[in-house]
Amino acid sequence: MELDLSPIWDNWRYLLGGLGLTLLLSALTVACSTVLGAAIGLARCYGPRWLKLPLVFYIDSMRAIPVLVVLVWTYFAVPIVTGVSFPPFWAALIALTAHIAAYVAEIVRAGIDSIRPGQVRAGLALGMSGAQIVRKIVLPQAIVRMLPAFGSILSITIKDTAIAAVIAVPELMKRSETVAGQTYHPIEVFTLAMLVYFVILFPSTRLVDIFYRRVAHLGRS
Amino acid sequence: MSLDWSVVWQHRGELLDGALLTVLLTVLTMLFAVPAGIVLALMRLSHSKPLSAASACFVEFFRNLPLILVVYWAFYVMPVAIGIEFSAFTTGLVALCLNVSAYNSETFRAGINSIRKGQMEAAIAVGMSRWQAMRQIIIPQAWRRVLPVLASTWVSLFKDTSLVSVIAVGELAHTALQIRSQTFRVLEMLTAMAAIYWLMGYPQAKLVDWIHRKFGVKE
Amino acid sequence: MTDTGAIVRKGADQTPVVAYDNVRKQYGDFVALDGVSAHVNKGEVMCLIGPSGSGKSTALRCTNGLETVNGGRILLDGLPLPDAETEMRKIRQRMGMVFQNFELFPHKTAVENVALGPTTVLGMSKAKAAERAMALLDKVGLVTKANNFPSGLSGGQQQRVAIARALAMEPEVMLFDEPTSALDPETIGEVLSVMKRLADEGMTMIVVTHEMTFARRVANWVVVFDHGKVVEQGPPQQVFENPVAERTRDFLSHLGWNG
Repeated sequence: MELDLSPIWDNWRYLLGGLGLTLLLSALTVACSTVLGAAIGLARCYGPRWLKLPLVFYIDSMRAIPVLVVLVWTYFAVPIVTGVSFPPFWAALIALTAHIAAYVAEIVRAGIDSIRPGQVRAGLALGMSGAQIVRKIVLPQAIVRMLPAFGSILSITIKDTAIAAVIAVPELMKRSETVAGQTYHPIEVFTLAMLVYFVILFPSTRLVDIFYRRVAHLGRS
Repeated sequence: MSLDWSVVWQHRGELLDGALLTVLLTVLTMLFAVPAGIVLALMRLSHSKPLSAASACFVEFFRNLPLILVVYWAFYVMPVAIGIEFSAFTTGLVALCLNVSAYNSETFRAGINSIRKGQMEAAIAVGMSRWQAMRQIIIPQAWRRVLPVLASTWVSLFKDTSLVSVIAVGELAHTALQIRSQTFRVLEMLTAMAAIYWLMGYPQAKLVDWIHRKFGVKE
Repeated sequence: MTDTGAIVRKGADQTPVVAYDNVRKQYGDFVALDGVSAHVNKGEVMCLIGPSGSGKSTALRCTNGLETVNGGRILLDGLPLPDAETEMRKIRQRMGMVFQNFELFPHKTAVENVALGPTTVLGMSKAKAAERAMALLDKVGLVTKANNFPSGLSGGQQQRVAIARALAMEPEVMLFDEPTSALDPETIGEVLSVMKRLADEGMTMIVVTHEMTFARRVANWVVVFDHGKVVEQGPPQQVFENPVAERTRDFLSHLGWNG
């Protein structure tokens, strides 16, 4: 099998741009889904009862529907329903955020639920208010416990941005596809893409692991 | 905006076939990936450095790649590397198997490691070999811990089968998108696609919740 | 080693069942065993006592190969323990071990736990193994609990099943690693009385324990550990009532032992 690396040298700027967009989309998605997911998770734990049902429905639905379907529906169907159309990047951001926020919400809920009721009782015995207990006792411990799961969210997000290629977001996957198609060297180009993704993804979970090990004792009670 | 939902009904046969193929892909992948995951986990845990390293490399590699890329890569590399033309279905299946085996291996490894060291010691103290101890004492206990995670992996796999649509495997996503292209009924077909996935996926997600409750380990 | 020239140990006319010959064990920089020498004769009960971390459990775990030694030798019936794992497995069949945390197999009933060694390792038929298991459960007083899972047994009951499980292999020597440390005070007694019965029947036993009364009454030989070394060893009357070594006196007084 002969390898011709010239398509890579010729197009490295184009591919690098794709990588940049992958990282940008990932970062924005992580930020947005964290905020949205945390809000939903907190609402599930501490919110009014009538809110919980639709939120659970939303979370479970996102567990049932593939990312691909959400992406495609957001890009193609939403404009038909609402008359508002999004450029591919924004459609991808919205779809990925909606999908991943559901996972974040579950992580938040699990983290909060894992704090023993005894901790809350101890706070009450000291005369703290409910809000104070949440803020000072429950959340600090819960956040530490959520970290390992959160590391995997980062990894999942980066992998999911590759699916945005199907709605022509010019990130790394899409651009690799384009170069591979134009130069008729799919093996070299896709192998490079694999290496690049591996290099980005492998450290990200490791780093979270390392950080977690340093702070894990803060979450043990 | 005029909607014609009858399109969905007209093509219900094709959609059903697509859904069945989705299920078939899921089942076949798991049939391979569960034993493969056990083998990889045992390799990783073995005292033999080469076996352990080989397993670690495989697992870390496939855990840190987007599946859609693996699908594309398999599609282009497999015919060249092995010299046989595979069907898109087989290629997609191979990509799914590689991916899920890697995840399962980590699941089994964590499950096995979660069994107290003392259990292995007690088995060895009675004269069992490490392999006998694994088979009779460790793995039977690890199953309880492993089952909820496998169930979650199953549901993820079920959704990930949609990604093989990019190499034109006729599962549900590909079928629905094809019909959309043919009939130009975008909203109807996309919504139908989402709805069918939802109908199949929602009960599975609830089943996974039940399994987590029933088999979850309470510390 | 103290001069016990006047004392003739039980079973001294035969080769010791287990002998420690200048055993060394270290974990990285930490020296867990620093030249330990001792032996136990057939029919003797040898108790290893000393503060936590003094190496007594390590010595026990080296005896059946759960840990490997870095220097010196351990001998079973006069022959040094082999290096090869397959050989070591056969050696382990001749020793029984009882763990602090019982370590019963939770997915098997009491009788299954006891029969597992004979069926899996000795290739005994299920029927014969079950027969032997029931007899042993009877011996430890738990025949009515034969079909219970460990989760349905108290700590003391679990430990007694664990003793039966070790006896099922018909070992030459029984190793006990702090067998009562994880038990409620009420159940310690039932386990100690099973152990005393075993001793009375002539089983060779090496017991790591904090139960000084047991050691005083049942042991034929007591070995005192401190910081990986044997600071004193001798018959219980001597070690407990007239200890020679300073460290022994310190240790015993910390336990509030006043004879």
